Amino acid sequence: MINIFIDDKPFKVKEGTTVLKAAEEAGIAIPHLCFHSAFPPEGSCRMCLVEIEGLPKLELACSTQVREGMKVSTRSEKVIEARKGVLEFLLAEHPPDCPICDKAGECKLQDYYEEYGLFDNRFRESKEKKQKNVKIGKSLILDQERCILCTRCVRFLRDITKTRELGVFNRGLHSEINTYNGEPVNNNYSGNLAEICPVGAITDSDFRFKTRNWFLKEGESICPLCSRGCNIYIESHKGFARFPVPKRVYRIKSRENHEVNGFWICDLGRYGYSYLDEGRLDKICVNNGKGNLTWQECVVSLTDEIKKLHSAKKASRIALILNLWLSNEELFLIKKIFVDDLGVKNIYFVDSSGGETDDFLLTSERCPNKRGAQEIGYDLKPLDSENLMNKTDLLLIFGMPAYDPNNLAEIKALFENVKTKIYFSSHSDELCSLADIVLPTALIPEKEGSLTNVDGIVQKFLQVLEAPGECRPEWEVFVDLGRELGININYYKQFNTPEVVLKEMRKEISFFENKSE
Amino acid sequence: MIKALGYFIEIIKGSIITTRHFVVNMHFHILKVLGFKTKRKGAVTIQYPEQKREIASRHRSLHRLMKRADGKPRCVVCMLCVTVCPSECIYVEAAEDPDPEIQKYPSIFIIDLSRCCFCGFCVEACPEDALRMDTGKIEFAEYSREDMVYNLEKLIE
Repeated sequence: MINIFIDDKPFKVKEGTTVLKAAEEAGIAIPHLCFHSAFPPEGSCRMCLVEIEGLPKLELACSTQVREGMKVSTRSEKVIEARKGVLEFLLAEHPPDCPICDKAGECKLQDYYEEYGLFDNRFRESKEKKQKNVKIGKSLILDQERCILCTRCVRFLRDITKTRELGVFNRGLHSEINTYNGEPVNNNYSGNLAEICPVGAITDSDFRFKTRNWFLKEGESICPLCSRGCNIYIESHKGFARFPVPKRVYRIKSRENHEVNGFWICDLGRYGYSYLDEGRLDKICVNNGKGNLTWQECVVSLTDEIKKLHSAKKASRIALILNLWLSNEELFLIKKIFVDDLGVKNIYFVDSSGGETDDFLLTSERCPNKRGAQEIGYDLKPLDSENLMNKTDLLLIFGMPAYDPNNLAEIKALFENVKTKIYFSSHSDELCSLADIVLPTALIPEKEGSLTNVDGIVQKFLQVLEAPGECRPEWEVFVDLGRELGININYYKQFNTPEVVLKEMRKEISFFENKSE
Repeated sequence: MIKALGYFIEIIKGSIITTRHFVVNMHFHILKVLGFKTKRKGAVTIQYPEQKREIASRHRSLHRLMKRADGKPRCVVCMLCVTVCPSECIYVEAAEDPDPEIQKYPSIFIIDLSRCCFCGFCVEACPEDALRMDTGKIEFAEYSREDMVYNLEKLIE
């Protein structure tokens, strides 16, 4: 640790860090455009100039290492003047596109102009004409006029994906970002380019012109589309007083977590959010002619059914088909109720078959909680319908957005053979009309809980979206069920939140004991 | 009995006010006829639907969307009007224009006049001068709420 002074205040910082990082840790923001913590400093934008005592010229905060007794000033007159000058040159070629630019509102150049600039244009020359609408990838659109040549995108493709699809072409005023020979950016992490672009040069055609980013509310969540469990922000729109918006979720952004995903998320997770809004089931469907039932009535009738079988010593005729989208808490409660209390043995898992992996973030398991289920003590038997045929009276089945079509046919065949079928589903699909009672459930952003990722990291997630209609989180249903069944009533009475369930899991399962987050 | 007396008193009070207005206004009208200049003028009733007062130049009336030289709407869907609107009565949806110089044009532009409070913030916020409230139309009563919702075609004409 060494001592430095930033704006006359003493700080103790680690040896070898840069001035910019040291200031950031001390809570002093130094404006920067080209610097990104994921890459080594580039020093091309010159926004982070600071004054260091004893040095004749202003220095770059992003690439200058701290020294013992260094006196840095980030707000002196000279520094402010330099920032203004840098901004003036950056804006000399930057078009005043803010009204049509998707980045407006979260654009760093716009923010710094508000903070340090606010000058009128002194350049009489007209701005350089470049291409404004170049499709450089599956969902990326490049506007060369807006580009400030920070080369974050080039460095991302060079250092992170190592695919090197973009480069800087030509010199001086005519410098521009482009693809080599029109080869598009084609990798599973291309969506990150639109996110790291500090201005609106690279925009995402998935989000382009859909809405303005200041209408969106950011919610911290976890991506459930593979077992990596990348940390994400779900950006949702609540609509206007008289005009509902067509969907809730408009964009997924990556959230920094160095233990899991660093700064990045893959395109599968970024663009695969339509399941949150499309085809949702939001009402309880009762197909066995008992009329409309409320959640409470459904739970009671389910309990009666289980009680009947249990008292007749026929608990082995209960079967469960689970999926790996259930949270740790839910899987734990299912295990407690059905395995420990009732002695059910027929528990099967259906899941969409694995996909391709790419050695970076995306794993081959397209479900978020496989590891969690293993650690809780399930042996993850795949569906074996022959074993269930004619031996099952009550079938509880948990649907999920991504079904394997093979499983679907198997389950349908099984349905004809079973007396009572209870289907928990977040989406309406073919099985909804075949089951006796269909109960709408909440998806991961609509409930609380935790997931265990492929590396065994337990991550909590909070509710960031309102559950539509009558949807309820499964853990709530299981707590109700446990209480109704009355086998171990006091045990289930304590579970008011998923957090209490997780606390109990820490006591009972050694794997979860030392997992803090 | 006392209640009835109360009504009676109010009727008398009302008649006094009416009479006072008549006398005061008549007084100013007579002075004008006789050629005296007074600071206050006698009140005149305007026969409204047939006879209309001139609207002030800085007034705010029904919105209109401005056009570019080629007839396309000037609006670029920055949604600042939507953002600033205190009664949330504007709704805009964008579409991609093939012209890279325009890029963004409104496919839907709705103003719900039954909610609008005519504050004029939308006009002030517009960076493209695409929205104005200077049509001079102040009479747009309708029989249903749906008719009060103005769309792009209605606003641009």
